Amino acid sequence: MNMVVCVKRVPDTAESEVHIDSTGKGIETGKLSFRMNDADNYAVEEAILIKEKIGGTVNVISIGDEKSDEQIRMALAKGGDEAIRITDPALAGSDGFALAKALAAAIKGMEYDLVLTGALADDDGCAVVGVALAELLGVPHAAYVKKVEVLEDGKKIKVGRELEGGLMEFLEMELPAVLTIQTGINEPRYASFKGIKAAAKKEIAVKSVADLGLDPSEVGEAGSWAVLESFTYPVVGEKAEILEGDPAETAAKLAAILKEKGLV
Amino acid sequence: MYDTVNQDLLEELSAKPEIWDCTTCWTCAARCPKGLEPMEVLVGLRSIQVEEGKVQPTVRDALQSIFQDGNPWGVPRAKRYDWAEGLDVKILEPEAEEKTDVLVFVCCTDAYDTRVVKVTQALVKVLRAAGVDFGFIGEDESCCGSEVRRLGEEGLFEMCDEENVEMLNSFNVERIVTISPHCYNAMKKEYHGLKHPVLHYTQLLDQLIGEGKLKLSGNYEKVVTYHDPCYLGKQNDIYEEPRRILTSIPGVDFREFDRCRERSLCCEGGGGKMWVESESTEERLAEVRVRDAREMGAQVIAVACPFCLLTLEDATKVQGLEEEMQVMDILEILSEVL
Repeated sequence: MNMVVCVKRVPDTAESEVHIDSTGKGIETGKLSFRMNDADNYAVEEAILIKEKIGGTVNVISIGDEKSDEQIRMALAKGGDEAIRITDPALAGSDGFALAKALAAAIKGMEYDLVLTGALADDDGCAVVGVALAELLGVPHAAYVKKVEVLEDGKKIKVGRELEGGLMEFLEMELPAVLTIQTGINEPRYASFKGIKAAAKKEIAVKSVADLGLDPSEVGEAGSWAVLESFTYPVVGEKAEILEGDPAETAAKLAAILKEKGLV
Repeated sequence: MYDTVNQDLLEELSAKPEIWDCTTCWTCAARCPKGLEPMEVLVGLRSIQVEEGKVQPTVRDALQSIFQDGNPWGVPRAKRYDWAEGLDVKILEPEAEEKTDVLVFVCCTDAYDTRVVKVTQALVKVLRAAGVDFGFIGEDESCCGSEVRRLGEEGLFEMCDEENVEMLNSFNVERIVTISPHCYNAMKKEYHGLKHPVLHYTQLLDQLIGEGKLKLSGNYEKVVTYHDPCYLGKQNDIYEEPRRILTSIPGVDFREFDRCRERSLCCEGGGGKMWVESESTEERLAEVRVRDAREMGAQVIAVACPFCLLTLEDATKVQGLEEEMQVMDILEILSEVL
């Protein structure tokens, strides 16, 4: 089974405050740490698990500057075979559709059976790239996949999709196909430091938009359907109340409000 | 004598969950009549699992967090000095012309854990009272790597060793003082090429009290016992300093555990155990320890290690003893009697 996994480097915002930068179109990243997008990490693991079970190759692709090599190497350390990093100033301002175009251009020339992406990126939360990629490649897709089983002939797979309320929808799909992987599908392994060091010896093919046979106008803002105008902080509405005081005080106030409104 | 059969046996051994029960307390080595260090075998077996990526998610996340953010607690580097807010501490500049006496190496648990930062804050108060010229690395400080090595992640420990030695050597200081015995042990015994002498804070404070620079004027009328941290006692023979400090506090009624010094019972906080879910159903050693303390009538269990503080305090809560018995770092007691 030849597989391609798309990974993205994202800021880790779980424990950090996020501030809008001076352009109004980005966030201040100086004090943030970066890591592989959570769902992509599960997609990498799923590809490696399939490779370990039935054999095959795992090709890792990322879009971003050289800092993304860190995430690519982590995927290579876990068992990835080859890697491509797409980087180009023309990609600035791309929406999910434009990014999918770049990925599709890179994947089209490969022999692949299965493309895996994360279901959702932790930064923009669009959940678009994987689905758009399938459309551009002209292959079927399944989104929010939480179970993958390769059927005996290796030409079909059975996938379970996570629906609301914990329901699972099972589908049989022809290959090639694109799956967007939901977190929790597996338990991602650890990439050891020595493993990452060894992976640094594997070559990462760096490609520009032109290398992929795309015109710069097909990506970036010009090639996007959605253009980011600005970020704003949520406005404190009339019904919003910010509780002040130390944690004990605010907890007591919150409890009183919840009781008063009959919510508990 | 290393062949595929042995390789298979090692794989089989390394897959046993018990290898993660070891707290690397050193009791096996301290008592070994042949001077061996059996626990290193377990650490070696762990490293087989680590290289294959087969570690518990909690261990994986801790190690990854050290690689990415320099601490095992999953907190950004930018928050590493939040504990010092409002304290106006000196942040050292590399290659500074003026020499600072003491570089305090805080490390991760003392920098981030909401309970343990109180110890670090107490240290600032105590060193100021003693008139010590001291400073900190600031946000650029990274994990000492002691637990990394015990979890079997040798490669990442080498990175901690290399990067920390380079950074620590860049500061113009007389000596390095650690708060945690785990940092002390790593720097003293496992780092390569560190040019500054390293002390545990109990050694420095014992000196300061002996020289009359740290005066303890308050009264602390409590029954206090001392729990020897494995990485300070058994592994580095620092037994007298903490005891001299505690017995010099006016009012303290000091009592010893039956199992003290070389025979001290481990709290189970070391050896990477803060991040390992144990499959063992046996009673936790920290609970045994707290029960022993209660039987001797101790009101305070004094410790000199962040992991001992957390595990023993948890044990007092599990046993419903948190009202009648306190677990405190020596620094916290000192800060009350200045």
